[in-house]
Amino acid sequence: MVIIKDLKFTYSRRQDPLFQDLSCELPSGSIVGLLGKNGAGKTSLLKLMIGLLRPTEGFVRIMGHEPAKREPALLQDVYFLPEEFHQPGVSIRSYVRANAGFYPRFDQELLNRLVADFELPDNKKLNQLSYGQKKKFLISFALSTKCRLLVLDEPTNGLDIPSKAIFRRVMAGSLDEDQLVIISTHQVRDVENLIDRVLMLEKGKFIMQKNLYEISSKLHFATTSSPEGENILYHEMVPGGYKVITSQADGSSSVDIELLFNAISNGTEKMKEYVK
Amino acid sequence: MSNNIFSWQRFQLLFRQHFIHNAQLLMLSTGAYVGVIFIVLSLVQVANDLQPHNLENFQGFLIGFVTVFGILYVGHSFPAFRSKESTISYLMIPASPLEKFLFELVVRIALVLLTLPILYWLVFHVQGYFFNVFTDLPFVPVNAQYLVRIDENVPTLVYSLTAGGVLFALSLAFTGSAMFTKQPLVKSLFAVALIVMFFVGYVILVAEYLGLGKYNPPEEMVLVPLDETKALAAVTFALFAGTVVMLFVAYQKLKEREV
Repeated sequence: MVIIKDLKFTYSRRQDPLFQDLSCELPSGSIVGLLGKNGAGKTSLLKLMIGLLRPTEGFVRIMGHEPAKREPALLQDVYFLPEEFHQPGVSIRSYVRANAGFYPRFDQELLNRLVADFELPDNKKLNQLSYGQKKKFLISFALSTKCRLLVLDEPTNGLDIPSKAIFRRVMAGSLDEDQLVIISTHQVRDVENLIDRVLMLEKGKFIMQKNLYEISSKLHFATTSSPEGENILYHEMVPGGYKVITSQADGSSSVDIELLFNAISNGTEKMKEYVK
Repeated sequence: MSNNIFSWQRFQLLFRQHFIHNAQLLMLSTGAYVGVIFIVLSLVQVANDLQPHNLENFQGFLIGFVTVFGILYVGHSFPAFRSKESTISYLMIPASPLEKFLFELVVRIALVLLTLPILYWLVFHVQGYFFNVFTDLPFVPVNAQYLVRIDENVPTLVYSLTAGGVLFALSLAFTGSAMFTKQPLVKSLFAVALIVMFFVGYVILVAEYLGLGKYNPPEEMVLVPLDETKALAAVTFALFAGTVVMLFVAYQKLKEREV
């Protein structure tokens, strides 16, 4: 669904490229986590994917379209929820009446259900809602558009703890097989057990792009009392012991994405080799 | 035309979105426009010993109100471009750049040229009849045709020049809004002032200091107008050409916009 090939991007000629020779393919039917440190270029990459920025070299294709052309046939199948957003001073009902028509697969029943799940007041104007409530509404609207590509930039920022749980639940329960969701976040705990593929961005390159299934078949995540051991590829001290990553020996374990992220960012070359 | 270039259905959706999102603002703006006209007409009538406004007043105020309010309103074209967040929302709306451009052109320039004069005509009459209560001098209604008709003796060229001037001023404000993020109207006027100063300086330099003023041109020159009518025609052509160029620039800015 999304193909990025030899992408190079630079904001200005005087600056070093933000991305160099970036390539990846993302199929539909998955939720992809785009992870990276602050300033790694996650938002810029998302903007390149949806055509808000144009590649300096290389190309991006979404469903066969060149996103920078901003063709309506593509835009009606792509929804982008930015981290900071603008909302007009109208009620939820008016907003839906004004915007739903642009999306041919819009599901009003799903929206009603999500608005109820997030306990959003439908009598208030959008600009009178709190930041978290606005975000919950936009997440609901994004899912209701049924766009084949949903791009969410830091969707859990500003959500309270119960809302984060609802977010994970509605994300898991509202998607179709032909949809692809790309979630950019640095709060990996919020999207754990939700994403099934990880893209990790560092210094303008993908340092990892793997399915969680592949990762769990290669790496074992556990908590031990000691960081010593032959197979330990990475360890981190936590209250009561150590979180460790070892090579997989006997069956799978659930992937601790935060530990994996730290391990790849700060870990050894051996660790990086495992996830290449 | 291909569906990715223009679709009537999406064009209508843009109108629906605009009028739902901005209903309150549009009503307030209309109220402000109507209120200002009513107050100014009333103050002027009071200052003239309650003498009702005549056709000459009608046309003078028409040009003044429509020009000032028109430029202010058109200066708010592409309101989404005033912030990064709203620019993202705007660019991601599933409509083609041509649809978005035409929509903006219609709701700004076309609406100004149609709605503002008609609203003015209505308020002019409401104010005139209202003041009949306070004075015995009768108010004479003005036929709506005088919204566009100046005088029978005025040649077509002057009409064209006036129309070209108005369109040029509006398209200048329109294009400025597509180009600049903050204070687009002020920056557009500043840019025009710079360009005018540059050309005035250039003409002075060429005519005075390089001696072109001493040059006697031949009677027939293709590109240099030598009498008043030809000069007016050249200026009119330049205004229309300038309008087309500026609208093209606005379209390109919209199409190429990155955020």
